[in-house]
Amino acid sequence: MTYLISKENINALLTSLLAAKTVYAPKKDAEETVLFGKLGSAAEWHGASLLTHTTAKDKVYLQSESLFKIKKGKDGVQIEEPAEPEEIVIFGCRPCDARGFDVINKLFNWSNFVDEYYTKRMEKTTVITISCEKPESTCFCTSFAKGGPVNETGSDLLLTPQKDGNYFAEAVSEKGKKVVSENSKLFSEAPVNALQEKADFKTAAETKIVKKLDLAAIKKLMEPAFEAAYWDTVHLPCVKCGACTYVCPTCYCFDITEKAFDNLNSERVRNWDTCMSEIFTRMAGGVNPRTDTKKRFRQRFMHKFNYHVDNFKEELCTGCGRCIKACPVSIDIRKVIEGIK
Amino acid sequence: MTNIYKPHIAKVVEIKVETGDIKSFKFQFVDPAAQKAFTWKAGQFLILNIFGVGEAVFTFANPQTRNEYIECSIRKVGLVSEAIHELEVGDSVGIRGPYGNWFPFEKWHGKNLLYVAGGVGLAALRSPIEFALDNKQDFKNITILYGARSPLDLCYKDKFSDWETIKDTQMILTADKGSEGWKHKVGFVPAVLKEVHPSPKDTVAIICGPPIMIKFVLKELLDLGFTPEQIVTTLEMKMKCGLGKCGRCNVKHLYICKDGPVFTYAELKDLPDEY
Repeated sequence: MTYLISKENINALLTSLLAAKTVYAPKKDAEETVLFGKLGSAAEWHGASLLTHTTAKDKVYLQSESLFKIKKGKDGVQIEEPAEPEEIVIFGCRPCDARGFDVINKLFNWSNFVDEYYTKRMEKTTVITISCEKPESTCFCTSFAKGGPVNETGSDLLLTPQKDGNYFAEAVSEKGKKVVSENSKLFSEAPVNALQEKADFKTAAETKIVKKLDLAAIKKLMEPAFEAAYWDTVHLPCVKCGACTYVCPTCYCFDITEKAFDNLNSERVRNWDTCMSEIFTRMAGGVNPRTDTKKRFRQRFMHKFNYHVDNFKEELCTGCGRCIKACPVSIDIRKVIEGIK
Repeated sequence: MTNIYKPHIAKVVEIKVETGDIKSFKFQFVDPAAQKAFTWKAGQFLILNIFGVGEAVFTFANPQTRNEYIECSIRKVGLVSEAIHELEVGDSVGIRGPYGNWFPFEKWHGKNLLYVAGGVGLAALRSPIEFALDNKQDFKNITILYGARSPLDLCYKDKFSDWETIKDTQMILTADKGSEGWKHKVGFVPAVLKEVHPSPKDTVAIICGPPIMIKFVLKELLDLGFTPEQIVTTLEMKMKCGLGKCGRCNVKHLYICKDGPVFTYAELKDLPDEY
């Protein structure tokens, strides 16, 4: 289903969404950093930046999430599960972030185990994406089968800017169609040349992406390169800060811990974790199969571009390039995997 | 949807001191119907919750054929296991599971079973040993070779006489160092294995113990003519979820918690040295 929404009506759409639901959109914080923040009004939406500093992943897959509360009492132990999640809208994310949800959805639902914390929240999330007019030098989304500056994977509604400043709107899912039907006054019929204009937009945007990787060829090189001397040196600048995993739209690894309030009350908590940390694989008693940085660094790349592909037929990466920007020692994920020999 | 992280509430019904740092615990669900519905297969594991402290992974020590309670033998090594060692009869714990794959006994009907265990490694093999003993008609000879640092470090000493009385079942005990009154073998498990010299014909070797023991037992078994497909073991990895999601136990494309923990040596040979 395709439509047109004018520049002016975008603000009206935001206002309408805000009246019904919690809306997260790119917004400047007190230090002028653009992050996905809870919008108070449509005017707070900051649509000018290409990428937010961190992804919208934390709106669905919470950085720290209470799994349940535990109360010990005379009648035994009571487990209190959290309230159902509320309906939210993620507005103005980019195709790479929207596709990040599509990638981790599969992980949270595989092997006969459905993670209801993530899945219920995803079900109640509507993703409204805006195509990228000006990809940056760190972007490499076109290296992926389903990636690209106008790709709709993971989005419910995809908005692609037109030359006149209006947006070509594609309702990709039922949730996207619902946004249009509930705000039908704001949408009009798509003009006949809209698809052509989108194709031109796509071509123009894609030419700005400087790097396209042959990921199938890289995977073939990775398989026999586990013991390669390459890993002995490529990891050396890494300071194991884990920033790359923190800003990644697809990194999903987590820890489960317990927060004790007193002798009777505690909370089971799930927190994002990072494979760059030494304790990530350290067992009680001290045995650790990945003791040094080299092993953990290699695991991060092997997992994303080799092992995950074996299990899910797609990479654990969307090419957003945030890890390249966030790395304090300028490690470039593209160069690391391209250099494998 | 069901909450995959929510444990069943259980109570400690019995505690037994096995060695200086190993205790065995029997747990029973508060809800008898839930206890009855809770079934597992030898080789699988569970996640034990100590409320106020956290969760940790343990193997079932008892087989599914003896499922009126759940038993775990636990060595005191970390935060959660230390809290477990403080438990008293009547205390509440949480249990979720079962997780992982299991020993493929259905493929081993008519075969000899050779169990080789070291130290607390017998905890992981007790459930497959007792499962096989409870279904002895399906298997030929059962040999259990078990060793520990000293006679005092042997687990399940009270079980051995019951096991041995079952037809065509042999127990071979060894201690790295003997002590007064020790009537069994003295020496490391691999050396005793060499001396016992089991035939690989129609035999599956099931091994569990410290890495150094595994390494030399593997060598002996291969020298005796066992093929990598005839050797089965169970892996230990850091795990948090048990459900193939938290990412910690990922080795190559496998998640040890859901694709393992039971592997043949043939399967392990293809994995990088990261477990």
